[in-house]
Amino acid sequence: MPVLRFSNLHIIQFRNYQDQQFNFDKRIIGICGPNGTGKTNLLDALYYLCFTKSYFSRPDGLSMKEPAGGFRISGEAIAGEKKGELTCIVRENGRKEFSENNEPYKKFSAHIGKYPCVMIAPDDVQLITGGSEERRNFIDTIISQVNKDYLQDLIDYNKVLLQRNSFLKSASENQHFDEALLSTFDKQLAEKGQYIFSARVKFLDEYIPVVKEQYQLIAGKEEAIALKYDSQLLNAPFTELLIQNRSRDLYLQRTGAGIHKDDAEILLDQQPFKSVASQGQRKTLLFALKLAEYFFIKSHKGFSPLLLLDDVFEKLDAERMENLLTQVCVKEDGQVFITDTHQQRLALQLSNINADYQLITL
Amino acid sequence: MQLPSVLLENAVNEFAKLPGIGKKTALRLVLHLLKQDTGNVQLFSETIAKMRQEIKFCQRCCNISDGDICAICANSFRHQKTICVVENIRDVIAIESTQQFNGTYHVLGGLISPLDGIGPDQLNIESLVNRIQKEETEEIIFALNPNIQGDTTIYYIQKKLQPLNCTATTIARGISFGGELEYADEMTLARSLANRLPVQQYVKG
Repeated sequence: MPVLRFSNLHIIQFRNYQDQQFNFDKRIIGICGPNGTGKTNLLDALYYLCFTKSYFSRPDGLSMKEPAGGFRISGEAIAGEKKGELTCIVRENGRKEFSENNEPYKKFSAHIGKYPCVMIAPDDVQLITGGSEERRNFIDTIISQVNKDYLQDLIDYNKVLLQRNSFLKSASENQHFDEALLSTFDKQLAEKGQYIFSARVKFLDEYIPVVKEQYQLIAGKEEAIALKYDSQLLNAPFTELLIQNRSRDLYLQRTGAGIHKDDAEILLDQQPFKSVASQGQRKTLLFALKLAEYFFIKSHKGFSPLLLLDDVFEKLDAERMENLLTQVCVKEDGQVFITDTHQQRLALQLSNINADYQLITL
Repeated sequence: MQLPSVLLENAVNEFAKLPGIGKKTALRLVLHLLKQDTGNVQLFSETIAKMRQEIKFCQRCCNISDGDICAICANSFRHQKTICVVENIRDVIAIESTQQFNGTYHVLGGLISPLDGIGPDQLNIESLVNRIQKEETEEIIFALNPNIQGDTTIYYIQKKLQPLNCTATTIARGISFGGELEYADEMTLARSLANRLPVQQYVKG
């Protein structure tokens, strides 16, 4: 099966890098170095080339080495049969340019999905412990990569939602509201929302079994975890919900029902996962969620995405660690980048599973 | 910018308020006027003032006009029972230059967007509904921008028209004429496929 593979990377004035070039000639690349040497920044540079933005939701300006100094990331990748020379430049004035094979993109959204990539960072535990927005974003990012219409519908949905909320606000200020206009917004919202809802249902039907399977594989034993899609739309059609909630919406000046309230419920032994699970179990679930994303993208794109593992050795026991590495480095054929602070530990782990690897020391 | 005269500065500031004109361009325009005869500049400013004072908006369709009723509405050869709904006067000019439309217009003056503080009350929607009722219009054609606000406006007006016996249509959306398929964006292409035309109608049209 074809894969996505980066052969080199050139970073200029990005975070702590002044001007540095890296060549990747193996499938598995270990990156090690003490704290603050730029391991995560290297992974984020690769992420930039795949998604035109940072993995850590921060503005581009904060990624410049010097304030208002601009930065440039370029690299060569092979996705399946296609060779791509990717360049991302953020100018001194904050303007971003992104090009593939020297052809600049007019719309960055056209690039997303061409070079699929999955990143796992320690802060991602937010996905499990944080609010529902994190999980919605996570799900949306995956579906958008394989379904272009979904992304467009989601953008449109949010636009209508903003207009509707702004309308509700002005309605309460003026003490009167235009019934026809509200039902117009309802109609537009329901049309987009219902489509997004069905796309999420379809996706989770396929995705959840894979998460469970991956969880058991990494844990090495049976643990009773369950995942469930939680949406108001499961109980009633969107149009009805909007009518039911109308007086409440007018009172609260915002839209209380809809797919922007969706969540994914996670249970361990019938109890909420975030309150009963241990640190290691959280981390295991995080890997399971991300690996399931990896497999989902792989099966829909026809090639293995890039896998970026940041500081994965933290918190997992030796057995789970080995299960994970075997899973991604030996059984799969995609390119993997792993960071660690200890060179020996990383080298030992990778030799243990007989991987053919390259080690970059920063 | 440091200017030697307050009069000059005031003029520059006024020009800089115009869309697409910055301080430097404004200065260039003002210095150009300074080089002209006083009479010419007088004529220039009078023309503008007169335009603003004396121009009228058609009482029927809200198009710009010299009289109470615009030339398009007053033209008895045009089909009075067809109304094309547009966002602004520039759209009237664009459609007129196709020479394909032989009905009348109605200029809304914008699109519904509560975010920008524009509700139906700020637009000429009520006058449109009243007009359709009074004139027993047969067809109304929406020629609005294909975006979310455009859709909202279409749905809203259509809802208002439901009790009336008037056909509502919208301009076709799809591949542009003379365009090439490979350069069309995916959304447009997908939409063109979904709303494809029977060839018979296509050849005739």
